[in-house]
Amino acid sequence: MIDRAAVRGVTLADAWRSFRTAIGLGWAVESNWSDPFLFFLYTMAKPLAAAGILVVMFQVITQGRNPEFLQFLIVGSALWNVVFGVMAGLVQSILEDRERYRMIKYVVVTPTSLFPFLLGRSLARVLVSFVAVVLTLVVGVVFLGVDLRPNLLYLVPATLIGVTAVIALGIFMAGWCLQLRQEAWSYPEAIAGALYLVSGAIFPIDVLPAWLHPIAYASPTTWWLEASRRGLLGHGSPGPTGAIPDGLVMIFLLVSTAVVLPLSLAAFAWFIRRARRAGLLDMVTGS
Amino acid sequence: MTRYRTIATTPREAAEWSTGRLIRTNLRAIVGRAYPRIVGLAREPSWLFFEIFLPFLAVSAFVFVYRALEAPEEFVGFVVLGGAMTAFWLNVVWMMAAQFYWEKDQGNLELYFTAPMHLMSILAGMAIGGLVLTSSRALAVIGIGSLVYGVTYHVEEPFVLVGVFFLTMVPLYGMGMLLASLFLMWGREGFHLAQLLQEPIYFLGGVNFPLRAIAPVAGVMMAILPLAVGLDAMRQLAFVGSEAQGMLPVGTEALILVAMGVAFLAAARLALGYLEKLARREGRLTLRWQ
Repeated sequence: MIDRAAVRGVTLADAWRSFRTAIGLGWAVESNWSDPFLFFLYTMAKPLAAAGILVVMFQVITQGRNPEFLQFLIVGSALWNVVFGVMAGLVQSILEDRERYRMIKYVVVTPTSLFPFLLGRSLARVLVSFVAVVLTLVVGVVFLGVDLRPNLLYLVPATLIGVTAVIALGIFMAGWCLQLRQEAWSYPEAIAGALYLVSGAIFPIDVLPAWLHPIAYASPTTWWLEASRRGLLGHGSPGPTGAIPDGLVMIFLLVSTAVVLPLSLAAFAWFIRRARRAGLLDMVTGS
Repeated sequence: MTRYRTIATTPREAAEWSTGRLIRTNLRAIVGRAYPRIVGLAREPSWLFFEIFLPFLAVSAFVFVYRALEAPEEFVGFVVLGGAMTAFWLNVVWMMAAQFYWEKDQGNLELYFTAPMHLMSILAGMAIGGLVLTSSRALAVIGIGSLVYGVTYHVEEPFVLVGVFFLTMVPLYGMGMLLASLFLMWGREGFHLAQLLQEPIYFLGGVNFPLRAIAPVAGVMMAILPLAVGLDAMRQLAFVGSEAQGMLPVGTEALILVAMGVAFLAAARLALGYLEKLARREGRLTLRWQ
């Protein structure tokens, strides 16, 4: 006789419990095993130094002229922390649990889903990346004269949709990296680096070679950055992208996210099925 | 059959090696540790891809920033050269500084401690192998970057340029040797420290802009960071007549690099000695994940 209650599948309550537990675990792994001062320094120094490089490059060439471009640089550099944080967070969580702590196989066989666990497990890194965004913007406003004019009616929906798109890309990457035998750790950096180049994060898209423009305009990260700049600064990027009306930018963001989200979820589900079949969940590559 | 016949009758006699035998054993250790990195040049195509592709992406982003700012073309060359030197810095951080910690995780470190050779030989082998491995990546970044972005170099003293490059490598890898011991002592913080040694060092080392642009901080960096000194000197030699001036004359920077080389190698030896004592006294250096 089958006990149907025992095989009822994952309920929302199960998923929530798994998500909550994974948040605690992720935070413990991220912070508790490190000296708090070093953790703070490490968390803050990286984004500030990345922004600092751009500021010095700007100062060397323009001697402080064209402050609009400086604002463009600071906001792009600050927001990019989220893209890298989400991608690296999701991928490293799944790889650490497979390679280092060797727990992923146990999570998979529990009556919950890997998906809420993975989201919760990576949330600490994602939150830290938001702290980095705020800190970079504060430094920009206080020391570099960045003039923030937030339009919350535009910024809040843009952030919600944009971060959803970035999480979708991270989920795709996490599933993909589970399939890899070598160098999986380097993929988030490579993909985030490639997106950094084509998304207009630190230079206007029209500077790119023309053959990269279609890729740039297809990426939701491009539209998220553009929409966020308008929501934070009150104006868009320098160049042709900045001339696109606000409404159209939001529509492009919505459409690109609507395409990326279901594709990423479907791909993740397929990657996990394949990982189960091919025995990749308890594989240790030693990489 | 062993190559070294011994006629020792007591353990003490067996432990007394001739100077020649000591040198030969340590040389073999250097070659043995360098071997996998040099052989890895051809056997790990994925490394080749990532170690060229990632620095090239970073170089490209900064090149486009300079283009958007309508900077003089020599700045594009500065970024390409900086990107190539970044490959060496990453090698020092991840394959020197963090290496002993990983060796401990994999169970190799205790073998190093018990093997009849000096740990400096292992570090020297790692450095030589890493230098050869990374040189190919750095050359690829310079070649591809120069070709794609049309960089024009103006070199009047090529041999001095090559000399300064090697002078930079000695303290750079010496620093890696020192950090290898320190990272091992700091344990799990090592990963965070390795992360901390990337963007902040690119900023403080003037990897993407002339070091003079951060002059007050650059003075400190000139005293402690070989990457900053070497890169500043190499830019002066590779872009003669550039508007962007170096921090100090090339000759002075070469002398600083020599002094740094001696200081870092000596400090690495001291740190290794301390580490070895700690390993014997506490025994926890061979425990995994600590």
